[in-house]
Amino acid sequence: MGDQVGRSRPRFDLPGRVRGLVSHVGDQPVGTAAHVALHRSTAPHARIGEVHVDEALAMPGVYAVVTGLDLYKQLGDRILTGPAFADQPGLAHEKVRYVGEPVAAVLAADLKTARAAADAVWVDYEELPPVYDLRDALDGDAYVHDELRPSSVFGDLKHLRGVRDTNVNYEYNLRHGDAAAARDAGAATVTGEFWAPPTHHVPIELPCTIAWVDAGRLEMLTTTQTPSYVRQTVSDLLDLPLSRVRITTKPLGGSFGAKMYDRLEPLAAALAWTTGRTVRLVASREESFLLTTRHGAGVTSSMTADADGNLVSAIADVRYDTGAYADVGPRITAKSGMVASGPYRIANASVRSRCVYTNKPSAGPFRGFGVPQVTWSHESLIDELAHRLGADPVEFRRRHLLREGDEAPMGTTMHSADFVGCLDAVANAIGWDQPIERGDGRVKRGRGVAVGVKAVLTPTIANAVLQMNQDASATLLISTVDMGQGSDTIMAQIAADVLCLDSARIHVVRADTDATPYDTITAGSRSTYHTGNAVRKVAEAMRTKLIGFAAQHFGADDVTLDADGLHHGDAHVTIPELIHGHFGARGATVTAEANYTTEWVPYDKETGRSEKATEHWFAGAVGVQLTVDTATGRVHLEHLAVAGDVGKAINPKLVEQQLSGAAIMGIGHALFDQLVLDQGQVINGTLLDYQLPSIKDLPDKLTPIIVESPHATGPFGAKGVGETGILGIAPAIANAVRDALGVRITTLPLTPESIVAALERSDPWTLEEK
Amino acid sequence: MTTQITVKVNGVEHFLDVEDDALLLDVLREKVGTTSVREGCGVGACGACTVLSGGMSVSSCLALAVRYDGAELTTAEGLDETDDVVSSFVDCDAAQCGYCIPGFVLMSRELLAENARPSECQITEHLEGNICRCGTYPEIRKAVAAAAERRSPR
Repeated sequence: MGDQVGRSRPRFDLPGRVRGLVSHVGDQPVGTAAHVALHRSTAPHARIGEVHVDEALAMPGVYAVVTGLDLYKQLGDRILTGPAFADQPGLAHEKVRYVGEPVAAVLAADLKTARAAADAVWVDYEELPPVYDLRDALDGDAYVHDELRPSSVFGDLKHLRGVRDTNVNYEYNLRHGDAAAARDAGAATVTGEFWAPPTHHVPIELPCTIAWVDAGRLEMLTTTQTPSYVRQTVSDLLDLPLSRVRITTKPLGGSFGAKMYDRLEPLAAALAWTTGRTVRLVASREESFLLTTRHGAGVTSSMTADADGNLVSAIADVRYDTGAYADVGPRITAKSGMVASGPYRIANASVRSRCVYTNKPSAGPFRGFGVPQVTWSHESLIDELAHRLGADPVEFRRRHLLREGDEAPMGTTMHSADFVGCLDAVANAIGWDQPIERGDGRVKRGRGVAVGVKAVLTPTIANAVLQMNQDASATLLISTVDMGQGSDTIMAQIAADVLCLDSARIHVVRADTDATPYDTITAGSRSTYHTGNAVRKVAEAMRTKLIGFAAQHFGADDVTLDADGLHHGDAHVTIPELIHGHFGARGATVTAEANYTTEWVPYDKETGRSEKATEHWFAGAVGVQLTVDTATGRVHLEHLAVAGDVGKAINPKLVEQQLSGAAIMGIGHALFDQLVLDQGQVINGTLLDYQLPSIKDLPDKLTPIIVESPHATGPFGAKGVGETGILGIAPAIANAVRDALGVRITTLPLTPESIVAALERSDPWTLEEK
Repeated sequence: MTTQITVKVNGVEHFLDVEDDALLLDVLREKVGTTSVREGCGVGACGACTVLSGGMSVSSCLALAVRYDGAELTTAEGLDETDDVVSSFVDCDAAQCGYCIPGFVLMSRELLAENARPSECQITEHLEGNICRCGTYPEIRKAVAAAAERRSPR
């Protein structure tokens, strides 16, 4: 083994990133492409009558105006795509389901003309009763979709096909023991109504897709985290073999879940294919807010202890508002529902988690995959329960946290997830055991902690191909997309370590489905473990090949590899000499391939439990010390410590940046970040109105802490970290506010107004479900 | 209507025919080819489109190109790897996806030209209009302080 893993090697292309020389999708010249602008729905829920396109079509520079009906005539029901339900058309057909939904696409010589022509389209609507929120959706009799249409991606949704008269597209239930009876018999119960609002990812790079037809093949360059998924979607949409679809990417300028599954790609493919033109679609910032959001979620929940302080019951009713299209909401509903009781030993647990259609922009994956919304509930509850019992919130959690070998309420045995180590690390960092100066004027000080648990996406598939070049440099082909997390760098480190090379000599090829092999997705914190294992295996396969060549060269089996090359006793050959000699050519290449696949056991239909719901768990904890100005309600973060168990840090600096970056994003969610909708319309969908964390929102001190509890089957013991840091930020801050002021707020974000209002309320527990 | 303008970008003169309503952002990206200048919001709220004109920062997404006839513009491409700010950002790992970073680099150049020894508070105040969604702010703040030290060691 080499010395590449465990080093904070800078991203290999860092100087280029700093100077803006790393090129992105939107930078690519497109020649005589048709620029596309979209005419969008002005109604939240309506039947589409006539779409008037004549005026737009008559404008100089307009090539074509395409409607949903036009696409339907050519592609039929195949225009409906989506990862869980095939429910979303690239252009609305028959019905519109949210304000801002694309209804017609204008193709023109330039974007300005296209946008002007899109404004000249008008549509006759027959308005239908709108479903604005969870309450309308669950209690009313208007339905966003006439019937449910599961996609072919997830076999366990098949039974939902054709179900009518409901806005609930998926329901996950966990039944472990008798939680209701245990609550009734318990000594102390806390109950809450929690709300986490919809938010938006706002990666600074805007989504952009360029699609064209080349010799009967559909080719595309697009901002996606999921090139392998998009290839399959386009293949299904156009009824083409996978070999006639090519999806390529560039490094992304951030994503956080925004650029995955079906965004601009199905529409771009359909327009390019049906018109034969190269098309370029770019979303403006305002349009990006309509492409996807984070699920707003309501949680009604309770946690109960017996007279000895043992946790005996946890109950949660979780409602995810998935908007007009399900996207991956049903997956979020199950994966997050199963951890709604938190990382604790609890004798009885009951969870109902529902994914609910409304007439709003679709919600999809966002860093944390629905788990921050349920963490908001369980970390507030356990904190309040500790206060009610007169227990120390850190000690109380410590007592109940799942340890190695414990069976979690959802039936899976916990392993390689050091919750206690993470909690201890953040408590220690913020001086939990030290006396605190509370403040005696209008400014009060408090401390809070929170713990998070999340499953890694399972089952998933990763593949890697490695070419060793004759000069002992190497080319690694994977479909993992580097969007800032630094995957190209750590994958090179893993391969280099196995082969005793300098990782700077390994080039990672950008995802191109013509060349790079299938990889499920770059999401769910899965790449370090899954793709990292495929890369470890492919490097090991390459090492075996080189040792085989060397055995031939030496005429002996006893060969070792180190940084100087290959050795047999005192005999030595370098890799360049070996490959040159083996093939008789300079510049020759040696190729190896490897696969890494994980399996799961599907949830039991009755209990929702699974002996293996996931390959492994992420464990994280957050500790906060803050002050609150009781006159203005303003929170000031003095110290925020965020810890994540990553098994083994392949690159400690990149791990710290994932932890601190997630924490900063989470500070926004805790204190101000929210997408505001009024009657289904986004009303703060510009960056003048939508508040994001700036450098001014940094805590006085921000401490990322790496906890390394090695994973038995991770590459070098490693697992991912992209989401770990964000899980507990909001509840840790709210728990510190509770500690400072004695009031419990259950609606995010904790705006100054909400804190002042809470101080003036007698009952601290409230529900404001949107 | 189009107007011919002359702009010097990173020391190189360009003669450009621009529409009267063309944005400096689009002209720099499409006619000059400096794609480090990026649209993040279109309303001057994120800083990804920042350029320096005569050393002063400009949100190019709000600027009409015709008004920059005769201007001397600097984009991040125009700074080489030995530049104090660029090298400090590299050494402090002050980029993740990096999409917003050219804007931060140029804002930092502007700050250090005005104030050779900014305090942490002054760095924060000067950079508060730029958004880094990856959350690289701790490293950025460190990098600006390091660049100040490189430019004028104590």
